[in-house]
Parts: sequence; C-alpha cells; structure tokens
Amino acid sequence: MSVVSNSPEKSKWYLTGILGGLGITFKHLITNLFNQKKMITLNYPEEKYEYSARFKGNHVLTVKKDGSIRCTACMLCATNCPAECINILAAEHNDPTVEKYPIAYEIDILRCVFCGFCEEACPVDAIRMGPEWQTPGANGSKFIYDINHLAYRPQLKGGVVSVVDEAERHKSGI
Amino acid sequence: MPKCTINGHEVEVKEGATIMEAFYKLNEGIAHYCYHPGLSVAGVCRLCIVDIEGNPRPQIACNTVVTEGMKVTNQAEKIKDGVKWVLDFHLINHPLDCPVCDQAGECGLQDQYMQFGKYSSEMAEPKVKKHKVVDLGPTVVLDSERCILCSRCVRFTDEVSKTNELGLFNRGDRTEVGTFDGKPLDNNYSLNTVDICPVGALTSKDFRFRQRVWYLKDSETLCTGCSTGCNVKVYYNKEGAFRVKPVYNEKVNGHWMCDEGRGIYKFVNREHRLLKGRMKQKGQSTWTDMDAGALAKEAYQVIKSAGEKLAIILTGQYSTHEYQILLKNLPTKNVFHWQNQAEKWNEFDGLLLRGDRNPNTKGVELAMNASGIKTDWNDLISGIKSGAIQTVFVAGPENMAVYEDMKEKIQSLGSVQNIIWTTACKSEDFEKLTNNVWLVPMKSYLEKEGSFINNQGLEQKFKKATTIVSEALTLAEASYLVSGQNIPIIKMEAVDTFIDASRRPDQVTLEHRKKNEFVYKRGSL
Repeated sequence: MSVVSNSPEKSKWYLTGILGGLGITFKHLITNLFNQKKMITLNYPEEKYEYSARFKGNHVLTVKKDGSIRCTACMLCATNCPAECINILAAEHNDPTVEKYPIAYEIDILRCVFCGFCEEACPVDAIRMGPEWQTPGANGSKFIYDINHLAYRPQLKGGVVSVVDEAERHKSGI
Repeated sequence: MPKCTINGHEVEVKEGATIMEAFYKLNEGIAHYCYHPGLSVAGVCRLCIVDIEGNPRPQIACNTVVTEGMKVTNQAEKIKDGVKWVLDFHLINHPLDCPVCDQAGECGLQDQYMQFGKYSSEMAEPKVKKHKVVDLGPTVVLDSERCILCSRCVRFTDEVSKTNELGLFNRGDRTEVGTFDGKPLDNNYSLNTVDICPVGALTSKDFRFRQRVWYLKDSETLCTGCSTGCNVKVYYNKEGAFRVKPVYNEKVNGHWMCDEGRGIYKFVNREHRLLKGRMKQKGQSTWTDMDAGALAKEAYQVIKSAGEKLAIILTGQYSTHEYQILLKNLPTKNVFHWQNQAEKWNEFDGLLLRGDRNPNTKGVELAMNASGIKTDWNDLISGIKSGAIQTVFVAGPENMAVYEDMKEKIQSLGSVQNIIWTTACKSEDFEKLTNNVWLVPMKSYLEKEGSFINNQGLEQKFKKATTIVSEALTLAEASYLVSGQNIPIIKMEAVDTFIDASRRPDQVTLEHRKKNEFVYKRGSL
C-alpha cells in the first residue's frame, strides 16, 4: 500500500482552489438566472429528456397497415436473446397468407439487458428497441410486458408500422 | 458381391445394390431428397449425382447399380458444381418462409443449402404461386409452395400404407401434391408422410406451431402404445413431451410407426399426471395429499396386517424387472393379471399396430410363471365377495386411455376394504371410491429405465429420458416401501445402450444435473 503525503508547501494554496470552485458555481448561477433557456439541467420528472429514435430502450412490437401485429412468431428473437427474457406462444391464424402469429408475446423487462439482439434477429422488422428509457413501477408492478403493452401502449398512438410489407413482397415475386 | 470404390474407400455391397446404398454403407455424405431406404427408387430429385470413372456424364447414385470395380466419387469439382445448381432448380419456386415453417431447423433444404449450395439465386422471374395451408386430412396439413416434388409421400401411401390417397397433379412447375377429389388422407400411418417429407410441405396438425424444433431435446425410447414395441424418439423440453418419431429398427418396426402410437406422449405431461400421493380413510370425504414415499410407507402397515388377505393386480404397462422386484418384495400367491380387452389381443392390422395395447404383457406372464403363479380373474372376484381378500395392491395402467374397462374395474374393486393403487395419471373415477384408498404417483416410461418384452418375445431396453413429476416412484421403489424396506440405491449401468459413440457425452455431472435438470446449455441441442 502506498501512502500519499501532501507536501506542506502545496497544501497552503487550498484557499485559491475553493475560491476558484465557488467562482464557477456563481458563474452558472448568474447565467442560469438571466438566461434560463440555455440551462442544461431538467426539472425531472415534470420535464423529460427525449432521446433519439435510434436509442435502444424499451421494446416496441410493430404493426401492419391494418393495425394487426406484424410478428410471425418465428421465435428467432427468443432464440437469440442472451437473457432468455422473451416468451412467445404461437398459433394458427385464420388467414392462410398469415399462417402463424403470436397469441402471447411476453418480455420480462427486468431480465432484459437491452442488447438489441432481438431487433437484429427479427426477419420482418416486428420488434424494435424504442426511445423510451424509463421502466419505473411501484412494488408489485407488472414488469412482464405483454402484447398489449408492447404494441399498443398509449405512447405509441395506435402502433408503429413495420417497414416490411407482405403484400408488396408478394407483388415483387418473392 | 461386387466391390466398388467410393471416394477412395473400397466397399463390398450386395448383388444388385445401388451406389446410394454403398454410400449409406460407408456413411459417406451424399446430397439427396427423393431417395428413402424404406421406399422404392424414384430418381426424380437428381441431386445425388456422382462421377463414375469412364462415364462422361454424371449419373444419379440412387438408380445406378454397382458393378465390379466401379470407381465412384462425389467430390469432383464438376459434381459439386452440379449439385449446387440442381439445388438452385429446387429452390426456384420455394417461398423461403422458414420463419413460419415448422420444418425449419431439421429441413433438408436448409441443411443441403448450407452444405452444398451457398449460391445467390440467378432467377429474376417471379415465383409460381400454389396452394398454401391445404387441409389434407385429420392429421396432416399441406403447403404446396414448399414442396419440391420428391414424391416420397406419394410412394409411401402407394407402397407402405397401400391406401393410395396422395398423387401428383398437373404438369411442369405447376405440379402439386394432392388428394383425389373429396378423399382425405386418412389412414393410421399418415403421419409417416410428415416424417419423410424432406421440406416443410407436410406438417403434422398435432405438432404444428407448438414448438420450434431447436428447443426440443430428443431421446430414444420405446412406444408403449401396443405390444409391437416400436423404437421411437420422444422430443421433449422443460414444458413436457411434444412429439414422437420412429427410429429405424429392422427387427421390429422398420422405418415406420402408427399414428395412434404418436399420441402416447400426451399422458406423460404434467396436466394429466398425479403429482402428489393421495389417501382417503373410510367415511372421509376429502383427500389428504402426502409425499409419495411417505404414503407408500404408510401403506406398509395395512399390507403387514393384511397377511394372507392381500392380492396383487398387475397390468402390462410396467417394465419386466419391476414385476420381478414387486413379486419378490410382496410374496403372495394371490397375483392376478388384469387383461384389458383380452379378446382383441390377437388382432393385427398387417403393418405394425396390434390389438394388445400393453407394451409388456409378455413380461407380466414371465414374472408370474417364474413365481409359479397361475390364477384366474374370477378367483379374485369371488375372493372379494367371500371376504378372503380384503386388501388389494393394484399396479394400475399408466396409459388409461387404452383401458376401456377402467371405470368398471375401479367400481368392482371398490368394495375391498383397502386399496393401494399405483398410477401415473389422475382419474375422476378414483373420487367415487369410499373405502380406504392410497393413490401412489408413478413414474411414466419416459422417467425410468427398464425393458419391455414385445409380442414376438423380443426384450428391448429403454432408458430414462427426462423427469416430469420428480416426486413419483417406480413400481420397484413403491414395492420396497410398501413392504417396509428402504429403497436400495440402484447403481446405473455404466454403458448406456442407446447413446451412440459419436455423440459427445454430457459434461454436467450427474449430481449437478439432478439439481438443474432443466437448465440446458445453449447450443447443445
């Protein structure tokens, strides 16, 4: 273990250090008082910082143009997930062109490590990481997000439309 | 016996054998779809092309007979290139909907593309659209777009099941597999077409969309659906068993199994099982739940006091050594064989399914003969009526669905003072019993090891696959406990009969595995 000893000559100059620090504080106080628009702090939680759309926050399940869920329940996200937090239950769809769809899609958000592998694995742009970054909740809150939360929570305003369109794919002969 | 050289290795094959069979014998890899060892040769997929020395053009291996001194290779550059572009032809109209296809993960197209293909498609034309999600019958769904027209399923219904339901319709790239008008694919072997389909064109309604195949582990075991004893693979994970597929065994089932046998995984899942030991005293209306081992020990007092008035009833659903241990631990001459629908036992459908729906009827008879016991069911009935039998120990059936007389047997045995019934599954009928009842939860055939003796007298071993009800006992363990002994620690055999040498042994030690039996290592499936 090494002992750091301050030399007595150097430590005499502590007062200038304190005054210098106080000077910075007062400078910000005065600029903030007279120029509040440039203030860099926020009044959280009344004011919230909006991250860019590319931020890897809470998951969003995208929807088709008609508003139904885009996911085909291929389970690639669940397979790729290193935290094993995705749970999907697949079922047969009445429409033969859709064939397979999830009747349950759950993400255990407390297990999630926000690595974004689910987004990368998805072949149809059905799951994205959204800009929301807060996951607060009271004791006993539901931290296992279901389809209703992931695709249709009020913040999404009716759902985010997927960029992969099955009808257009069929038209181009794929 | 002609000799030939395959990729530099010399091999001797039977007279009239094809090059493909020589490849199979050497375990040498060769691309193919339409060839199946259990069916006739069609030669339609043209993927198994090989180079024969002295022959200017590539030949198909499945339809070329080996001649003496033939030198064959599929490693030549022109063959590799040929296979690649034949594969491109197969995938011209393939929809590539692997994400929604049940076959993904065990698909011939995926495997062979990764092994032999790896090209970018050179097709600019739009794909031909065909019928999707066609309901072929009560068990099978067809997707014509995925079909590569290998005709394996058509040949199966033609040659094996001999029902001729399927056929190829239309011509050229509009050819589709289908059934004749108004006739569904409905026979007891229809799900074999799903197994032999190399792509996801035929899928099983029972398994469809329930699991992705890479989430499932498989284990070889025996079918307990009837006394044929087909060799099968059961696919399971922590949520239970999901499907059964046949395993090739020349002596028993060949390549196939019946649809009825494919349902036998259902009763082993937790929702059908007796999870706790249950007991009820005479006059009580509610059941007391108990630990299985503690319950069996409790039953020991009854069995001890019964003495000569004890009777044992056996069903043919347990393994051979379990009967032997049971009869050794409870030495009595009152042993009766519950013969379920004995009048149907000699029925046979000509292929695999037999009328005797117990896997081990021969095992019961063997164990009873070894102890010199010859009894008749009527003796039991009269014994119960006269009061000579007051306590019965029933080794109950685990697959109750095939026991049609279940209800009536429970009622007729209900007049006995004490019933100790070992059962893997729960049943409504037990609720009606009014006297002293002990229900001991049993392990199913997936959770224990042992052997069954099939209809032809062939003894086949099976090994433990998984644990579904951890508390349940085997019949042998229960017999030790109800006879007042402690369960001896049975040492596992070092060599497992079903694990083949090529498979990597599990790195997890047994003790560790018991604690985390459902923590699977990623990528080890």
